[in-house]
Amino acid sequence: MTELTAADRAVMIEFYHISKQYQEGQWALLDINIHVLKGDFWFITGPSGSGKSTLLKIIFREILPTRGQLVVDGINILRLPDHRIYKLRRTMGIVFQDFRLLFHKRVFDNVAIGLHVLGVPLKEIRRRVFNALRLVNLHQKMWEYPSHLSYGEQQRVAIARAVVNEPRILLADEPTGNLDPELAAEIMGVFKEINKQGTSVIICSHDKELIRHFGDKILFLFKGKIIGKEVLPSSKR
Amino acid sequence: MNNLWQYRTRNLLSITIICLSFLILGVFFSLSNNLQYIADQTSENMMVVFFLSPDATAAELSHIEQRIRSSPYVVRMNRVSSQQAWERFQKNFPELREILKNLGTNPFPPSFEATLQKKAFMSNEILGFIEDIKNTKGVEDVQFNRDWVQKMQSLSRLARAIGFFLGGILILASFFIISNVIRLNVFARQGEIEILRFVGASNTFIRLPFLLEGVTLGILGSTLSLGLLFLLVRLFPLYLGHSLGALQEIINFRYLSLSQALGMVVGGVLMGGLGSLSSLSRFLKI
Repeated sequence: MTELTAADRAVMIEFYHISKQYQEGQWALLDINIHVLKGDFWFITGPSGSGKSTLLKIIFREILPTRGQLVVDGINILRLPDHRIYKLRRTMGIVFQDFRLLFHKRVFDNVAIGLHVLGVPLKEIRRRVFNALRLVNLHQKMWEYPSHLSYGEQQRVAIARAVVNEPRILLADEPTGNLDPELAAEIMGVFKEINKQGTSVIICSHDKELIRHFGDKILFLFKGKIIGKEVLPSSKR
Repeated sequence: MNNLWQYRTRNLLSITIICLSFLILGVFFSLSNNLQYIADQTSENMMVVFFLSPDATAAELSHIEQRIRSSPYVVRMNRVSSQQAWERFQKNFPELREILKNLGTNPFPPSFEATLQKKAFMSNEILGFIEDIKNTKGVEDVQFNRDWVQKMQSLSRLARAIGFFLGGILILASFFIISNVIRLNVFARQGEIEILRFVGASNTFIRLPFLLEGVTLGILGSTLSLGLLFLLVRLFPLYLGHSLGALQEIINFRYLSLSQALGMVVGGVLMGGLGSLSSLSRFLKI
């Protein structure tokens, strides 16, 4: 099978001069221009307050930029009316640092929530939830409550929830922030596995060790500005 | 249903308040129905009684009878002699029989009893007709209790108006209670709502369960009030016995009509739905 070159791959996310200002005179992001291709694996790194999370929030339309345009999968999402944002989010999976699991629901229900939203039949939900949990190696704990799981396992449930509907884009905000190095590497392995299936992955992290080990494309932010981009040889497919 | 059960204490409280609000409305409607029923029954057999002079000649009586019978307002007419009136009184009021005997004479005058058409009964023309007969020679007095029926109908309208007023105030209060209960439920499920938003749930998908919760509370509360009202209509007469005597008929409850009962349930649905919507529009920003 012939692998696609970067030139052949479709552009998934295009930032055109994106800037974000929360307070007068303080730019959280300033003139960001990047293109994320289908199947890309990006790390966005920088110190706290550099604008990493803001960038992610703009992608899934949690917030609007002050200036610039953003095209996701061919759609200018800044022109998307509020009542249609849900359609954009159905193409994405989002993993948060604090997991945001529902602790009164079992692992299965936590992962299945996105499929219920899409109206997927129950039989299909069972199959896809099982596959997603197998991907993160948690299929044997499907009927447990999240509170009975370890920290790393909870994070893997959050990842399974993000990938269960086979999103075109996966966004993760400090997904290994509180994990020990072994667990962090394990989680990164899962992201790589998902990326291999064609999903564009964008991860915000300030874990230099992890980035050096797993990074393909790296964007360095400092005080809202891009101060560097790095494309490592492994990303040249 | 899961959500209703999860927050059962506050939901039970709101169902109770909705139920009491609709029950108060229902009680006054039920009282009003009874008064209207009495008024209808009375007007159904409404009669004018023309008391005749004992000295009236046969020709005068025949003339009066002919005039009454020829009136378009009269459905039928009976002639009641003094003797018949005396016997009727004894039959209806046996406890007063001795008093009558002690009188030594028959105090009841003969009369013509004219049953009126229902339509004509409330018209103004009937008053002219009665006045006309009253002034005819041989007629001593007239008994026409239209005022009494009118009073019953006014009382019925009053009971309904009080029901609307009190019930309305309480239903408005219930509306705010539902609105607040839904608001609390929204706050309690803020985390879940946020996750639903991130996995691509539409506004309708997120709002519908809350809307259904409000509607369910409204239906349960109003239906429960209908059940309690049914029990009240059945048990109230048993509780009261005969202690109220003649007032028993008036102070009583009658079942709601089907349209009234359905109206209350629909009212519950609307109140629950609108209460939820008002809360969702203010507190659930998606």
